[in-house]
Amino acid sequence: MEKTVVDFVKVLRTAEVKVSPAETLDAMAALEVVGYQDRTLFKNTLSMLLSKNPDEKETFEACFEKFFTFDDVTKTSQDEQQTEAGEDQFDDEQDGNGQPGQPGGKGSGQGGQSRGDHEEPEDDDLETPPPSSDLGKLLLEGARSDIMIKMAEAGRAVEVNQIVVFTQKGLFTRKIMDQMGLKGLQDEITELQNESGPGERRLAGKLKRARDQLRDQVRDYVEKQFFLHADEHGKQLREELLKKVKLSNLEKRNFKDVQEIVFKMAKKLVSIHSKRRKTYKRGHLDVRKTLRKNMQYDGVFFDLKWKSVKVDRPKVMCICDVSGSVSNYSRFLLMFLYSLAEIIPKVRSFAFSSDLGEVTQLFQNSNLEDAMAKTMRDYGNGSTDYGQMLLDFKRTCMDDVDNKTTIIILGDARNNYGDPKSEIVREMYDKAKRVIWLNPEPRSNWQVGDAEMKKYAPNCHQTEVCNSLTHLERVVSNLLKFAA
Amino acid sequence: MVNFKRGKPLTLERDEHLASIESIQSGLESLNYISNHQIATAVFLAYQLDKPVLIEGPPGVGKTELAKSVANMLELECIRLQCYEGLDESKAIYEWKYGKQLLYTQVLKETLGEILEGAKGLTESVAKLHEFGDVFYSEEFLEPRPLLKALKEEKGCVLLIDEVDKSDHEFESLLLEMLSDYQLSIPEIGTIKADPARKPLVFLTSNNTREISDALKRRCLHLYIPFPNAELESQIVHARVPEIPAELRRQLVTFIQELRELDLKKVPAISETIDWAKALILLHTESLDADLVKQTLNVILKFQEDIELVEGEVQMLTNKALKA
Repeated sequence: MEKTVVDFVKVLRTAEVKVSPAETLDAMAALEVVGYQDRTLFKNTLSMLLSKNPDEKETFEACFEKFFTFDDVTKTSQDEQQTEAGEDQFDDEQDGNGQPGQPGGKGSGQGGQSRGDHEEPEDDDLETPPPSSDLGKLLLEGARSDIMIKMAEAGRAVEVNQIVVFTQKGLFTRKIMDQMGLKGLQDEITELQNESGPGERRLAGKLKRARDQLRDQVRDYVEKQFFLHADEHGKQLREELLKKVKLSNLEKRNFKDVQEIVFKMAKKLVSIHSKRRKTYKRGHLDVRKTLRKNMQYDGVFFDLKWKSVKVDRPKVMCICDVSGSVSNYSRFLLMFLYSLAEIIPKVRSFAFSSDLGEVTQLFQNSNLEDAMAKTMRDYGNGSTDYGQMLLDFKRTCMDDVDNKTTIIILGDARNNYGDPKSEIVREMYDKAKRVIWLNPEPRSNWQVGDAEMKKYAPNCHQTEVCNSLTHLERVVSNLLKFAA
Repeated sequence: MVNFKRGKPLTLERDEHLASIESIQSGLESLNYISNHQIATAVFLAYQLDKPVLIEGPPGVGKTELAKSVANMLELECIRLQCYEGLDESKAIYEWKYGKQLLYTQVLKETLGEILEGAKGLTESVAKLHEFGDVFYSEEFLEPRPLLKALKEEKGCVLLIDEVDKSDHEFESLLLEMLSDYQLSIPEIGTIKADPARKPLVFLTSNNTREISDALKRRCLHLYIPFPNAELESQIVHARVPEIPAELRRQLVTFIQELRELDLKKVPAISETIDWAKALILLHTESLDADLVKQTLNVILKFQEDIELVEGEVQMLTNKALKA
């Protein structure tokens, strides 16, 4: 049973429910107390110990239902209620008690089929000799559940939970069959076919049919395992890939995935950095400190100590180039920043291609997609003019820049040979806490053609190549670190 | 009833209430707290595993009430710690009685002469003073705050840490020692532990205004209480407002359930349903009608924009509720 719980935890982890080893241990301890008899109780208990927020609860629910499936059993048991009440009872018992662990497996109606198999040749049962190989015996004489258990064991032995891609299905089916003793069965079938007795031949046919059914069953089992283990794994692979791919190469259909990743990254950053945010109440007497401080004055209070105020929320101004080539980067940078609203509540964002406009309100009031589309429509046209942008910035918000402000400029600095006005960047440099320039182009291209990075770079605290989500994450994380 | 393989030996009288999930459910029900299976399981496990329960869910679904009801059921004191921004150890765990310390210093100063009588030189005097030990930092000068009080409670108690999400991150770390080991360390005195047989039953509630840290979550059972379904809600209203006629109760619950489907700023919670039921009783209502609903809408909806939104739908919703 422990192994089963561990397997289940593994499935949860691939589905991105964070379960720590300690929680697994807790779950075991809890199961000791509540037992395995009652499925709802079993589920509630695990749910309480393994999934710890509403999202995770939902995932847990789905995984639990997938992992501990039994509806097939109940379906077949209805079909066969009369013929094998006894055995069904056994199955039901298994439901709650022993093997919620044998994941998946019972393909619908399979029980029925194998049963039908039994019944069909039943009239001439007397004439067939008993099968000699282990697997043959199991198939013809063993209970359905025994076959399932055997299959699950074999699956475990060949580590079917390592399955990663869909094409491995055949391989694993084969492996499991081998593990279950397919060879013995094959040999027996060949042998039986060479014999002349009608009983033997009938047995050979029967075994063959049983073998084919078993193969179907195993394939089904492997498929379920694939969905359980590999589906999420594949998603992780895809996410890793998306994180590294150049943002400008992203296609529209990936946006949704990317957005999800951005939120995930943002969440991680929030949890790492939100600890820095301290806002002590002003005006509270710090008794401890005061007493300690005044000890030296014979306990007379004349040097009062107050609880300190520490606010380190960074103020961020983000200027984004939204002309064609760079717009994708801007989109994700803004997405990132607004997902971080919890720790950097004061983000002001500006968009430009030639004229600069503030889009803070837009992003706060509508969802990202709409805001982005509107921004593109309003500011996305026209050739880029960094000089004009800087002039606009100076005119409208230079006064709001103070020594707590971080200014992020995202753009390729391709100015169409216009006046770069780098002196304004210098002014920003002097006034702001940090000026960060993010450039999606590789460093080697920074001075090629109409790019003006050479003039801007010395006036920034930091210049970074930024063309993938990983880069973005790093930049934002640094931003938060320095803000503290 | 489920038989449990290994339960704690039932040493105390109160444990009878906690012996099984069914007994918890019925115990709570007798106190007019209608719980579902999940809630009862949480309480049961909390007791069996000595683990705190972190309760999350929308406001007004009875998170705090659960802790209070459990305390009532077990006839234990419910020690409550209300969290807020800026809450620190001096308000949650302990504080030294500074006034008393100062007073005693003054007293001591006067008697210092007597104590030091016969001592020659500085070294001897200091040695003599040392014999008295750290009187000022002993338990007599300690003012226990809720957490410490809960540990020292001899009969055991229910500790309710309300709205943890309102406190600072630092405070969460303060709680960890308490929640995992039922002990608190005070540098000047040492470690104070709870009596192993009477560990406090701890409930934490959170409204999800921010994510609780993983370290804290890891130590807790996590119970999510959603809005109840119609049947459960009807039972709750029945338990809390027994004088309401069954027909009206059904209409009322259907109405509220429908209301929760709408896109509102704040959907009505159970507490609002109960308030509304009481209000309708006061108005001698026998059956819902659109006008009456409009007049009493402010009992269940707390934002003007919500009220305006719903006012248009009242007729439709009322009809639905009457027909259902």
